[in-house]
Amino acid sequence: MFGFLLGEALRDLRRAGRVAVSAILLISLSLAALGAFWLLSSNLGQAVDQFRERVKIIVYLKREPPPNESNALVERVRRMPGVAAVRYVGKIEALGTLKQVLGKDAAVADSLPQNPLPASLEITPTAEGATLDGARSLVTRLAALPETDEVGGGLDWMDRFAQGQRLLWLFGLAVGAVLAGAAILTVATATALVLHARRDEMEIMRLVGAPEHVVQLPLLMQGMMQGLIGAVLAIWVLIGCYAILGPRVEPLVTETLGITRLTFLRPLNVVSLMIAGTLLGGLGGWMARGRTEP
Amino acid sequence: MIELHRVWKIYAVGPVKVPALSDVSFRVAKGEFVTLCGPSGSGKTTLMRLLYREDVPSEGEVEVLGEELTMLTRRQVAALRRSIGIVFQDAKLLPGRTVYENVAFVLRVLGTPRREITGRVFDALRAVGLSARAQAYPAQLSQGESQRAALARAIARKPLLLIADEPTGSLDEGMAAEVLDIIKDIWAGGTTVLFATHQAALATTLQRRTLSLQGGRLMKDEG
Repeated sequence: MFGFLLGEALRDLRRAGRVAVSAILLISLSLAALGAFWLLSSNLGQAVDQFRERVKIIVYLKREPPPNESNALVERVRRMPGVAAVRYVGKIEALGTLKQVLGKDAAVADSLPQNPLPASLEITPTAEGATLDGARSLVTRLAALPETDEVGGGLDWMDRFAQGQRLLWLFGLAVGAVLAGAAILTVATATALVLHARRDEMEIMRLVGAPEHVVQLPLLMQGMMQGLIGAVLAIWVLIGCYAILGPRVEPLVTETLGITRLTFLRPLNVVSLMIAGTLLGGLGGWMARGRTEP
Repeated sequence: MIELHRVWKIYAVGPVKVPALSDVSFRVAKGEFVTLCGPSGSGKTTLMRLLYREDVPSEGEVEVLGEELTMLTRRQVAALRRSIGIVFQDAKLLPGRTVYENVAFVLRVLGTPRREITGRVFDALRAVGLSARAQAYPAQLSQGESQRAALARAIARKPLLLIADEPTGSLDEGMAAEVLDIIKDIWAGGTTVLFATHQAALATTLQRRTLSLQGGRLMKDEG
């Protein structure tokens, strides 16, 4: 029976002709747009994740504590939620680091009357502590320590970056949704044409007592086929664009975002696009069926 | 097999109510051949439509194959129709399919196993003398052949009841006789037949029980 229903759906697809082709192209366009924004967004997300892994929060101390106090302070901070590791940097170590940074100009540091650099704690947050909310509350807790003079390494810039990523994703979703709406209506129109073309068959089917799902399923299936074909086309378009543009854009992305290579959509994303296309097509077919059911 | 009890069918045309059937009652037993005779507009088609539940009566009860039809669900209607073969004045063949495919189509939509289909289609085509035209398209058939193809489609499912609504209405005398002979053969095979015609002479030559309809009323039940 499934073979018969599939055959009927293919016959219906051929009947819909140019309208079906338009529907397929519109579905491709909407899913390609959605997929492109998804691709961009996931690469930006990858950059955000990398930045997050490298995040360090620095707590500058009011005064350099004696060794036994510094150990107790480190221990206290390590027990705070959101803290993965704590390293104490004394004034001497800080000055040594500065000299390393200055390189051949390190003598400038030696000419200073006294060491101006404060002692500090270098904190590596946990994955949870490196999220925007996590980092914010960690910074608040650290700032409240009596020993703290100032907390550096806030994540505001990353906040804005992630917000941009979310906006990009939402914009992609909106563009995809508008195009998907148009695609659904086109599939519905194609299905309505099919319904008109096969009204005699449907009449015969009902007169001989065919179960209603046998009458309706080919309509739904031809809509789903339009959606699936559209999704496969969209994925090919994305693969083509990625293959052509990827190598050209990659150096720029490495330079600006620090990610070593652009990644394509994951298999799960590709499958999701195919399912989305199939559902879009099916919805169009179902809507047309709903409009014309006797 | 069929029982109508005080059936009325009234159509509302604007504010005017037009009775298509008025207080019709009759019974048809299993294995009977009954002719439903009456001029155009006498209510034959309306009555036939009630029997395969394409329509419901305004009043009264219609029972077919032991089922009271008024309250049937869509699924029950489909199940009922699987036991009824229906033939119309226009053969209603699907133009894009061959005679073979037209007959096979109904078997396939009813889920007949693929291995049985070819045999059953050719059995039906042989019964109506059309096996040589299996690969012809409806446009290549004469009216008589089209009607025979429609009969083949109806009997391929081995129905318990055959409803033939003016199948000879647009045929010349010779073709009509051929179609009628086939219907009689189907009846002889045990199928109950309800045959509608506006040709009183045809009803007379059949020499079977005849129900005469006029203006939606059952005027005579004879034979």
